Amino acid sequence: MVLETQNLTKQFNGKGGFKEVTLSVEKGQVFGFLGPNGAGKSTFVKTMVGLLHPTSGFAWILGKPIGTVESREKVGFLPENFRYHDWMTGKELLTFHAELYKIKNPGKKIDELLELVKLKGHESKLIKNYSKGMQQRIGIAIALLNDPEIVFLDEPTSALDPVGRIEVREIIKELKSQGKTVFLNSHLLSEVEMVCDEVAVINHGRIIAQGKLEELLKEHTHVEMIVSDYTSELIEKISRLSKEFQFKEGKLSFKVEDREKIPIIAKMVIEADAKLYQLNTQTSSLEDLFINLIGKDEVS
Amino acid sequence: MITIIKYTFKEMLKKRAFLLVSILSLLYLSIYAFGLSKIFERPSNSIYDIIFQSEILSAGLFFANFIVAFLVVLTSVNSISGEIESGTIYSILSKPIKRYELVLGKFIGLSIMIVLYSSIMFLSVVGLNIWFGSKISFGWDNILKGLFFFDLGPIVFLALIIASSSIFSTINTGIIAIMAYGIALVGGVLEQIGTAMQQSQVGAFGLKSGESLINAGIITSLILPTDVIYRKMTAELLTQSSGISFMTQGLFGGMSQPSIYMFIYIFFYMVFLLYYGAKRFSQRDL
Repeated sequence: MVLETQNLTKQFNGKGGFKEVTLSVEKGQVFGFLGPNGAGKSTFVKTMVGLLHPTSGFAWILGKPIGTVESREKVGFLPENFRYHDWMTGKELLTFHAELYKIKNPGKKIDELLELVKLKGHESKLIKNYSKGMQQRIGIAIALLNDPEIVFLDEPTSALDPVGRIEVREIIKELKSQGKTVFLNSHLLSEVEMVCDEVAVINHGRIIAQGKLEELLKEHTHVEMIVSDYTSELIEKISRLSKEFQFKEGKLSFKVEDREKIPIIAKMVIEADAKLYQLNTQTSSLEDLFINLIGKDEVS
Repeated sequence: MITIIKYTFKEMLKKRAFLLVSILSLLYLSIYAFGLSKIFERPSNSIYDIIFQSEILSAGLFFANFIVAFLVVLTSVNSISGEIESGTIYSILSKPIKRYELVLGKFIGLSIMIVLYSSIMFLSVVGLNIWFGSKISFGWDNILKGLFFFDLGPIVFLALIIASSSIFSTINTGIIAIMAYGIALVGGVLEQIGTAMQQSQVGAFGLKSGESLINAGIITSLILPTDVIYRKMTAELLTQSSGISFMTQGLFGGMSQPSIYMFIYIFFYMVFLLYYGAKRFSQRDL
């Protein structure tokens, strides 16, 4: 595992932060960490990179306990509230961070990264003259300077325009193809849906769902059916197999957690000698899943 | 740590505060040089003239020391707290470096710059006095020892500010720095007055009051020993190898010299402040 936590907790005077988070992220994955504002996402990432001290629990990055210098050797990090020394030029800033990583002769790597984040030609400008989007781009370059095994990107596209967002998505895909692990904190669910293999959803500091994105989405398939000549016994059976069941004048609308239930339900209709006119399925989007999960958590 | 030292030094040179203090220093040295040119116009040969000249020198160094302290506050008060408040610290401390390296790196980087600046100020004031024909005969050993103590004071002050900046916010560090420096300054003056009262034999009452003032000065020196170091500097600069001392009486001079124990205390004071600042900073949530 590239990242592993066991009952990791970080709270501030018994409040906020996150509680008892147990996660594991495999090598080469793009892992999405989702949650509403104040859920504890950034606190979690800051704890991972040693900026915050955990209250309890354990965590390792590449087998090294978090908080140690060794655990940060192959880590890249783009903070959510990125700010860089604005008295430096772009190139000076990258050189400074390369020196902090103790990279010898970083010139070639810096040129490559400037090219990657589309800042070539702007390297001699002072950071204070960079736009917010340019500062976020150089932040991404800084996060990739040491050829990291795992990159923590905390809202990496918050200051970028749509084109910039697509470019960052491409960078993430490229990192994945190189076998790197990306831990992505993002509000942009569509973005997460496009690049992530696995996600965890955090709310009020607790993980409320975790797993492969495909599996999680499969669990929430929406089904619509139109039937006639049905019996009340058949409708009763279908409602027991599904969730959020609604029925009105032959129209059934419900959700199933397992897609395998769909052919079973269709078979039940046929065997009950009812007529099946229409059966539509629609897999939930990550947004549906997210709202559903957060909504349920708020109720409970 | 070398990277932090290097970039701290670079940053200071690029800061507006440095430019401001440099302009202020040039202005000060020009006014001081003008004053000296007028003072040294008339011929001076008597012992009183030499004492007067040592007073002028002490005053020049006193205000130069004050300007250096001003630079120390302006350039270092936000050295660590400012990085936290602006958020630039996140990208630094997520790198494989230890937090104490940042604290020590900032201290060393700023120290180099402050020693350079402080030395220029000291040598300029002493040089101007020699240039205009001061009758005080300075030996190289006087100048070097004086320079050492002139530079030591700001470094001790810097250690306090760095420790405070590692623990508290910029505004609180500013308050601590200015208050501590003010207390040390007032305490130093009280100690000089106390010594004068004892030396002038003003009776038993005067002796007792003088002793109280000296004790008050010693206590303030324990809080921030910058003033006591300044007194040591004037003593080293103005005491001749023959044993004759031109240490002046009054606000800018030094009638009482700190003991060796005070300098042992100063050494541990600096080490403790840096250790404590780095330790508390390492435990902080950022």
